[in-house]
Amino acid sequence: MGRTLPSATMAFHEQAESFSRFRRALRRGDQVALDDLFAAAQQHLAAAAYATHPLPMEVFLLAMLLEEHKEVLRLRGLVEHWLAELE
Amino acid sequence: MTEWTGWLLDVLDDPQGGGVVLWVIADSGERVRLCQPFAVTFYAAGSSAQLRALWRWLRAQPVPVQLARAEKRDLFLPAPLAVLAVEVPRAADQLGLFRRAAQAFPELDYYDADVPLALRHAARFNTFPLARIWAAADCAGRVTALRVLDRPWDLDPPAPPLRILELEPDRDPAHAVPGALRVRWGQRDYRFPFDPPRALVINLRALLRRCDPDLLLTRWGDTWLLPKLLELVHQVGIPLALNREPGRGVQRRAARSYFSYGQIIYRGQQISLFGRWHIDRHNAVLWDDYSLVGTYETARVTGFPMQQAARVSPGSGISAMQITTALRLGVLVPWKKQQVERPRTALDLLQSDMGGLVYQPLPGLHFDVGSIDFISMYPSIMVRGNISPETRPQDPAVAGNEAPGLIPQTLGPLLEKRIALRQRLARLPAWHPAYAADKARASAHKWLLVTCFGYLGYKNARFGRIEAHEAVTAGGREALLRAKEVAEELGFNVLHMYVDALWVKKEVACQPADFQALLDAVAARTGLSIALDGVFRWVAFLPSRRDGRVPVANRYFGVFQDGSLKVRGLETRRRDTAPWVSETQQQIIACLGQTRAPEEVPRQAAAALNVLCRRLRQLRAGQVPLAQLLVGQKLSRKPAAYSAPSPAARAALQLQALGKIMEPGQRVYFLWLRGRPDVHAWDLPAPPAYARLDLERYAELALRAAEAVLQPFGVTPAVLRAWVMGQPYAVPLPMPRRTLLVSAHALPAAENLLSF
Repeated sequence: MGRTLPSATMAFHEQAESFSRFRRALRRGDQVALDDLFAAAQQHLAAAAYATHPLPMEVFLLAMLLEEHKEVLRLRGLVEHWLAELE
Repeated sequence: MTEWTGWLLDVLDDPQGGGVVLWVIADSGERVRLCQPFAVTFYAAGSSAQLRALWRWLRAQPVPVQLARAEKRDLFLPAPLAVLAVEVPRAADQLGLFRRAAQAFPELDYYDADVPLALRHAARFNTFPLARIWAAADCAGRVTALRVLDRPWDLDPPAPPLRILELEPDRDPAHAVPGALRVRWGQRDYRFPFDPPRALVINLRALLRRCDPDLLLTRWGDTWLLPKLLELVHQVGIPLALNREPGRGVQRRAARSYFSYGQIIYRGQQISLFGRWHIDRHNAVLWDDYSLVGTYETARVTGFPMQQAARVSPGSGISAMQITTALRLGVLVPWKKQQVERPRTALDLLQSDMGGLVYQPLPGLHFDVGSIDFISMYPSIMVRGNISPETRPQDPAVAGNEAPGLIPQTLGPLLEKRIALRQRLARLPAWHPAYAADKARASAHKWLLVTCFGYLGYKNARFGRIEAHEAVTAGGREALLRAKEVAEELGFNVLHMYVDALWVKKEVACQPADFQALLDAVAARTGLSIALDGVFRWVAFLPSRRDGRVPVANRYFGVFQDGSLKVRGLETRRRDTAPWVSETQQQIIACLGQTRAPEEVPRQAAAALNVLCRRLRQLRAGQVPLAQLLVGQKLSRKPAAYSAPSPAARAALQLQALGKIMEPGQRVYFLWLRGRPDVHAWDLPAPPAYARLDLERYAELALRAAEAVLQPFGVTPAVLRAWVMGQPYAVPLPMPRRTLLVSAHALPAAENLLSF
């Protein structure tokens, strides 16, 4: 029983590979940040698989944005907490 | 006329009488041989002209047949099919006749053509191995009436008084040449040296005559022992009746390696007897999982003769059940499956070609986690969703009105028996005498049900259809997502999901009773049975080995509240890991298992580090036996076919030099050595010197195994290695941002250094 379609993980790695030239040309610090973004997208491979979107990269970008927003929410909460403590 | 009540031992073909031979263990203790006339029908379909030509051809054959036109149901066609029914009065003639017909008329479709005799008998009389039967026969031993008194689905059938003779060589033939044959009969142990062979054969013959066993349970019987005995018999010229059936030799099947699901699998040669069973412990499928009791259960439930049930994979078992159900329902069993997939759009394929939902867990250590599992999810969906090649799938949560299809009818009784047995097992304590037997039988059911799903999607399966397979996975994804929604509605956090299992956590939920409302709600929303596997004291989800930020779905370990461990994906679960490494990891996990609350973590982690240090000291002191350091890797091709030989191939080449041939799919056991050659095959005559062992490599393997397990407990690999090597290491302090260099000798208590 073979696979007709690549799994979400395989599709993800294919997409990451397609950006390898972009990554190579970045400075080292920027490369680390980019790797963080891709690691963030990997947290949501199950949802990406279930989505069955014809353009998988769009779903991975959405996942990266999702993780970024979660971080923003977390930092916002921290900042408000510290501001409240300063008062 | 005589009547017998007893257990059915075997249904064999009868080349002389033409029908079947039944061997029965009568209640009186006698082993009775009965024969029964048995006619067999097969069918051919095609154009009228072709069928007329076949009719004329069959009339001209020496084998007398009854021909008729009939209309029967093909599962993949909406309307009944016009077929030519060929009834062969002597079952023994059917296969030969069919093969000749298929050669002469290859363009026709054939049905019910290659069904094994035992399954045909099962479909007509409901027989199965070890069934309780009542039979009446005339003075010539011909059966006049036959009734089966129990069913395969009975939970506690009365056990027949089987006579078991155990045979084994006194040594593993792959490792050294055995010198004697050990025989066990009841409480007695006998030992017959292979040399001189004449005495062995005479003694064995006398023993067989006296004991008349029903089952020869051997070690290496298929691959070495029975061929050796047959060779000795030929050499000495004294006949040895291994069979009970007079006048037949043993049945041999050659060994083969085949490719399946990405792996090469090796099946040793097989030797079957007539009128008696031969089961080889080392060549029986899933023996480690469920041994003899499970094999009896597999034969009982599938209808396969016992010797076959022991040797074929569960897939064949499920296929046998489907065939028997089809025969009983009057559905045609295709010889070669013709049905192809409907054409689909790309978008359609994108949405249906998926498997189960596999999530990425939240990595790290979590306390008080409930693990809930759907009970036999895919089989339940097949039965309650009425999924079969010929039906339209329905929602299991909604009562349907369509008639049940072939697959639900095949699986339904098996699923019920499995659930009943598992519920009983959940109530039995582990020390109960029936516990082990029930567990083995539950395992046999599990394997059969697991393979049924695979067969639904297998293109060569007689009753497979890819759309049905896709409907099952879609049903599984839907059920899992509904379960997730229910859990989140009830305030649970879903940590992880894996096809049919969820790991959920809620602040207030620590006891099994706290999860009951969740279980009921999920069962109502999905229509499938779900149960609590247990509540974990803690469970650790491990990240990927390559990138610590990326979670991995199937590497985790945890301790249940009753103290039992659950480990998945770690080295200790892999079959190629050396036992010493595996045990080290298990001991570390068991030590960590004592943790009951987050506060205890540093102390238990320190204790686990001490366990690791102790094991490494034992290794360096030479206290670990060689057998514990064996690594077992599979060969994926013949040793000579490697362009760059793997370690297993290098070890296999060493064995080949001594004349021991290894086939692809076989596991080669070896030790790691320093320098060249770097492997030493275990089956070589002399073990290597202990000083040559590559202890550094074994220590490294143990360290890696320990790293994986200790990492969620706050012990980073750097700290672990430094601790073990007794080196100074840097301990990062939380605030202010500085590090403190600590010498290993001036250590305060370990728990003060490990931060969680």
